[in-house]
Amino acid sequence: MSWTLLLAVEEGGGLFDINATLPLMAIQFLVLAVVLNKVFYKPLGDAIDSRDGYVNSSIVDAKEKLAKAETIAQQYEQELAESRRQAQAIIAEAQIEAEKVASQQIAAAQQEAQARKEQVQKEIDAEKASAFEVLEGQVAALTKQMLDKLLSAA
Amino acid sequence: MTTPLLLAELEVGEHFYWKVAGLSIHGQVFITSWFVIALLLLFSVLATRKIERIPSGLQNFMEYALEYIRDLAKGQIGEKEYRPWVPFVGTLFLFIFVSNWSGALVPWKLIHLPGGELAAPTNDINTTVALALLTSLAYFYAGFRKRGLGYFARYIEPTPILLPINILEDFTKPLSLSFRLFGNILADELVVAVLVLLVPLFVPLPVMVLGLFTSAIQALIFATLAAVYIGEAMEGHGEEEHG
Repeated sequence: MSWTLLLAVEEGGGLFDINATLPLMAIQFLVLAVVLNKVFYKPLGDAIDSRDGYVNSSIVDAKEKLAKAETIAQQYEQELAESRRQAQAIIAEAQIEAEKVASQQIAAAQQEAQARKEQVQKEIDAEKASAFEVLEGQVAALTKQMLDKLLSAA
Repeated sequence: MTTPLLLAELEVGEHFYWKVAGLSIHGQVFITSWFVIALLLLFSVLATRKIERIPSGLQNFMEYALEYIRDLAKGQIGEKEYRPWVPFVGTLFLFIFVSNWSGALVPWKLIHLPGGELAAPTNDINTTVALALLTSLAYFYAGFRKRGLGYFARYIEPTPILLPINILEDFTKPLSLSFRLFGNILADELVVAVLVLLVPLFVPLPVMVLGLFTSAIQALIFATLAAVYIGEAMEGHGEEEHG
């Protein structure tokens, strides 16, 4: 087996045999870098950058929308609170009014009842007086009859 | 040239030479590197054939890879400057990573060459030196483009006494980059080969798994260091003091 040792130089061979391979390899490498730039770094880099841009703009957009939505929600909440307050005010007003009406009606009804009661009392009194008058007339007649009977019997 | 009795054999420092315009080059390195490049291009084309906003399948996978590379470059070079360097740092990472793993996962030895053997392109010193020198050029370029001649000011910072060390750094950086990668990948393949030579079954498996791990780490280290150097070169005054 051939066991050419390190640094063994045989007819231009050897481990450290530097020749035209070096510049050619350098040129080849530079060409590779240029070509890879064309077919790999540029297109994919552009894709990555445009995606980054897209993601960033989406985030900004979303943040804007979120802020808008929050302000709208706040506005609605304010409006809600406002209308709730209004509703309460209306209810309170209505209650006060209803109480007023109710007390008025009660007062009117009591007055009417009072008036009726007085009228009825008056009628009763009048009928009582007339009844007494009739009775007084009858009393006189009856006493005269009784006197007549007693006198005649006697 | 070798006895065919053994299941495995070791060949170190042998190359499959091609003659192109009077220059000799290592054919086996180019064959595997073309395989690696073809794989990368295939994945890229398949992943970007139909790009969707919500990624799925291969696109998702490749986007994950790209984001990983971007994070790597961003972490070392900085948010402001990293974008033009993503192709360079990313290609370093992907090429080295796929090379290393292809060396570990593809049974190249089944294909026989007249000389040398197919292996990861990164276990040839030419490849790693080429990548390291490109990295050096890249950070010089980055520094000059960002700071003009003021780039030289960093050689006398924080104090002119460090001038020789700062100059030396420009040499040690590519040296350490290339030899780290070369050494790790070659050593990994050698260790596996030696183990296979001794015990062909099962025993090399843990070492192979470890090799996959170190291969990935080496790709990451190379790309990260390249990004670090580029970021360092572009840094302004008064920020040099970290790392």
